[in-house]
Amino acid sequence: MKERAVFPFSAIVGQDKMKLALILNAINPRLSGVLIRGEKGTAKSTAVRALAALLPEIEVVKDCPFRCDPQALEKLCPRCQETLAEQGHLHPLREKMRVVDLPINATEDRVVGTLDLEHAIQKGEKRFEPGVLADANRGILYVDEVNLLDDHIVDVLLDSAAMGVNTVEREGVSYTHPAEFILVGTMNPEEGELRPQLLDRFGLCVHISGITNQAQRVEIVKRWSGYELDSGAFSMEWQAQEHQLAERILAARRIFPQVVIADEILIRIANIAIALSVDGHRSDLVMMKAAKTIAAFHSRTVVEPSDVDECVDLALSHRMRKRPFEEMVIDPKRIEEMIAERMSSRASSRY
Amino acid sequence: MKAQALHPSRSGAPRYRPPVYPFTALVGQELMKKALVLNAVNRQLCGVLIRGDKGTAKSTAVRGLAALLPALELVADCPFHCDPHDPLWMCFRCRERLRAGEMLPKETAPVRVVELPLNTTEDRLVGSLDFEHALLTGTKRFQPGLLAEANRGIIYIDEVNLLEDHLVDILLDTAVTGINLVERESVSFIHPARYILIATMNPEEGDIRPQLLDRFGLSVNIEGIFMPAVRMQIARRREAFDLDARSFRKKWSAVEDRLQARIQEAERRLPRVQIGEDLFREISLIAAAHHVAGHRADIMMEKTARTLAAFAGREWVMGDDLIEAAELVLPHRARSPEEAARNGDQSTQEQTQPGESPAPEQPGSESGQEAGGEGKDPSATGSPSEGQPREGEEQPGQPVPQPGNADQTAGGEQQAFEDRLFEIGRLVSIPTYDIRFARDSLKRRSSGRRTTTTTDNKTGRYVRATEVRRNNDLAFDATLRAAAPFQRRRPASRLAVKIEESDIREKVRQKKTSNLLLFLVDASGSMGTRLMSETKGAILALLLEAYQKRDKVGLIAFKGIEAEVLLPPTNSIEIAKRLLEELPTGGKTPLGEGLLTAYQLLKNQMRQDPNILPLLVVVTDGRANVGLFRDKFYDGPQFGEIYREIYQICDLFRQERTIRAVVVDAEEKRLGSFGRSKKLAEALNAKYYVLEEVLSEHLVETVRESRGNSDPHYSK
Repeated sequence: MKERAVFPFSAIVGQDKMKLALILNAINPRLSGVLIRGEKGTAKSTAVRALAALLPEIEVVKDCPFRCDPQALEKLCPRCQETLAEQGHLHPLREKMRVVDLPINATEDRVVGTLDLEHAIQKGEKRFEPGVLADANRGILYVDEVNLLDDHIVDVLLDSAAMGVNTVEREGVSYTHPAEFILVGTMNPEEGELRPQLLDRFGLCVHISGITNQAQRVEIVKRWSGYELDSGAFSMEWQAQEHQLAERILAARRIFPQVVIADEILIRIANIAIALSVDGHRSDLVMMKAAKTIAAFHSRTVVEPSDVDECVDLALSHRMRKRPFEEMVIDPKRIEEMIAERMSSRASSRY
Repeated sequence: MKAQALHPSRSGAPRYRPPVYPFTALVGQELMKKALVLNAVNRQLCGVLIRGDKGTAKSTAVRGLAALLPALELVADCPFHCDPHDPLWMCFRCRERLRAGEMLPKETAPVRVVELPLNTTEDRLVGSLDFEHALLTGTKRFQPGLLAEANRGIIYIDEVNLLEDHLVDILLDTAVTGINLVERESVSFIHPARYILIATMNPEEGDIRPQLLDRFGLSVNIEGIFMPAVRMQIARRREAFDLDARSFRKKWSAVEDRLQARIQEAERRLPRVQIGEDLFREISLIAAAHHVAGHRADIMMEKTARTLAAFAGREWVMGDDLIEAAELVLPHRARSPEEAARNGDQSTQEQTQPGESPAPEQPGSESGQEAGGEGKDPSATGSPSEGQPREGEEQPGQPVPQPGNADQTAGGEQQAFEDRLFEIGRLVSIPTYDIRFARDSLKRRSSGRRTTTTTDNKTGRYVRATEVRRNNDLAFDATLRAAAPFQRRRPASRLAVKIEESDIREKVRQKKTSNLLLFLVDASGSMGTRLMSETKGAILALLLEAYQKRDKVGLIAFKGIEAEVLLPPTNSIEIAKRLLEELPTGGKTPLGEGLLTAYQLLKNQMRQDPNILPLLVVVTDGRANVGLFRDKFYDGPQFGEIYREIYQICDLFRQERTIRAVVVDAEEKRLGSFGRSKKLAEALNAKYYVLEEVLSEHLVETVRESRGNSDPHYSK
């Protein structure tokens, strides 16, 4: 069977917020993922699959089921630790970052890993069989319709997404391995909401809706039919742009470690989070990381206030306490007002 | 790939240990840090429960604590980490060796933190047959589980409120006795399992069982910090750690070392700390003032105050220590007046009935870890034969429901409840409700819990294995363990393991939540303010009940031109309550849209969990005046069309046999009646009630009946 080329990321019309959120995660995996909320047929899944093609190569340990980073010695899996102790070095290999699917009907043992059946029967020995979380280490874990996921699967996802570690204590095996993945989920809010705790695990969140601009709608149909007709030719057409974007992502990854953020901007971030009464501190951290990543994407090494503005709704819309009949949308003007209000009330209370 | 590559870690084998954020580098959250440090100094404080919003460094703190724990002297080659100086709490093997005159090899190692992940299966928690060993030698050997590993250490549970009930049961059992008794898969084994529990939870996700709550010596409630400068500092440190964990840890190592030294010093000082007679009196006064039940709080306060003094470098307890101790000991035991007034926090309330009659409380709490306290009290031993009886004397035994007592408390409770609910609406039937609370706090295992169903369709969480064959859902680990001891006697084959029919074990899987209460509430302008508050009161009563039953609750409201899922099915009563309070009313009545939304949501839930038992509660005056798919500019009600739509949707509901429905008519009858709700009820094949006629009491009763969950414990 001939494999069909994926729809090129740069060929997706509009939906700039979604594209930005995905690109930011490709640049900085520590943004801990993105949740894409939107109606059916708004290119959610297409965009995630297309992103895979843009993902950079990473250095991994050869044959390691967790694709350990041979440079990060403190984060080696048990197997690589043993190899390193025995042989004194690890065999590095360059590999593309992966997108691993978590199907809605996945069972818990497949997700976290379990006793290796074949090995036990043939050799009479216990061995751990890695699951989806192992596959997704240092890659993207993609959950389509994440709001339809079984509750207990969500629980184990939360468990490892939080700490980047998967600890397995089941069916006679006990195993711990790294599970640092970018959690990318899509959902249609009409079909039910996500629990707030899981919402919070997604670094960013975008709300998308169908495009109403007529010219753009026409363009979407044109491109899609072109792709349907001959996916190979279509992606060839877009190759240059894809390549350019991939290069830009790579460049941003390279300069990201040098990006600095000034105290005033951090204070501003904190003020925004407080003004919008967001639970906890994850929002601040995400805003900081997102702003830095945006700066890197704009090939700057200094974060500017506009970078923060660009990421506020990405980082906060899903963390705000939602009131009845209120949309999960943030109005930038309102934020300014709220911060100003807060500052003035604080100033007045001082006297 | 090497064959042994993915061997489960044994002692000595490397484990994956990612770099940990240093405890001392945490900004703020002093109370939480104090509670954790105190437990590092004195493990008789019975652990700590950290409750707080998401993203407040709960888990980070606990993981950071592990690096600071003091060293422990233990028998070097014992899987249970026995104390070489404490024969009473030794495992069998260590005792035997001691009796045989052997010198036990000693070593010192830091107190272990054993993590209990949510995916744990029973066999790994309690231990099971070591099938590898059985295959090789044909003899049975016990493979210690997490409880063994945690003996004399700490069990850490992240998101403890999400832990499966059957695991909680095991924890409760062992926490009371300090002994893990294993009788499974043809192994019979007993070993000491004295551990303390440290757990974190986000109350938004639902609460934990009161019995388990009681196991925690201390508890802290934490929330985010609202000072921009401090938040900036948090962000800065996290940034530095993420960038280069190793140098960050190095930078903090001096501070870490200092804290660790201080903890060790405090641990040595602790036995010498004195507490004055007057402070003892103070303790009982504090305890009484907070209406705590039993004496556990008093004991914990005394221990905590002494530990605080030791940590402060003193050998005597001061009044301030007591106040600090109360702050840590009382949150989950006392009922603070304003909290009681604001919301019905059942979990604390259950244990703190305004109880001047504390007799039936405190199920077995003073045994186990505390009995071992001071290292001198021999009230329980490692040997099963002499272990239990002594404990029986000390406690009132298993609590027995006492209806009389419950009746007494109900009166006093009623007042508190009415106050609490007033702002939402008059609630008439409180007494019956409260008796249920009181009873429930005494007998919980059989009721008040989510109905766990054993599923047949290979979905759900694997909880244990069984010999009963039903659906070929092979429990491979258990099958192997069953086959292992007989391998030598079976004829050789190509495979390493010879499995026969009789070895086959199947998985028993469980799923939570079989009840789903979905409220469909009319928030349109035609619902009078008075009736709306009545409605809210009734819904709240049902929510509280749902909370206890651990049912899922959902809330859809419709007004104007749309229906909105305000609360997707959840077991968090807090959110539901808040949403209900904030629910604005006004506008038109898009009843059809509401019903359709409810239908879609229920269908969705049923797809996710075929075992769910949905109950739809529609509260409306039935005066629909907006049809489906109308926009803002639509007006001129065409009733015929609107109701045709509604009845079509009702037909959809009737086709779903598992969905049961109740219609509560909220029409103000004194202004004349259209009787539309009644017709709706008929169309839905639902029970019909008029809100003005039934008291909230009956509504509660009604829904309970409709739930079809015949629970003798709840029926009057």
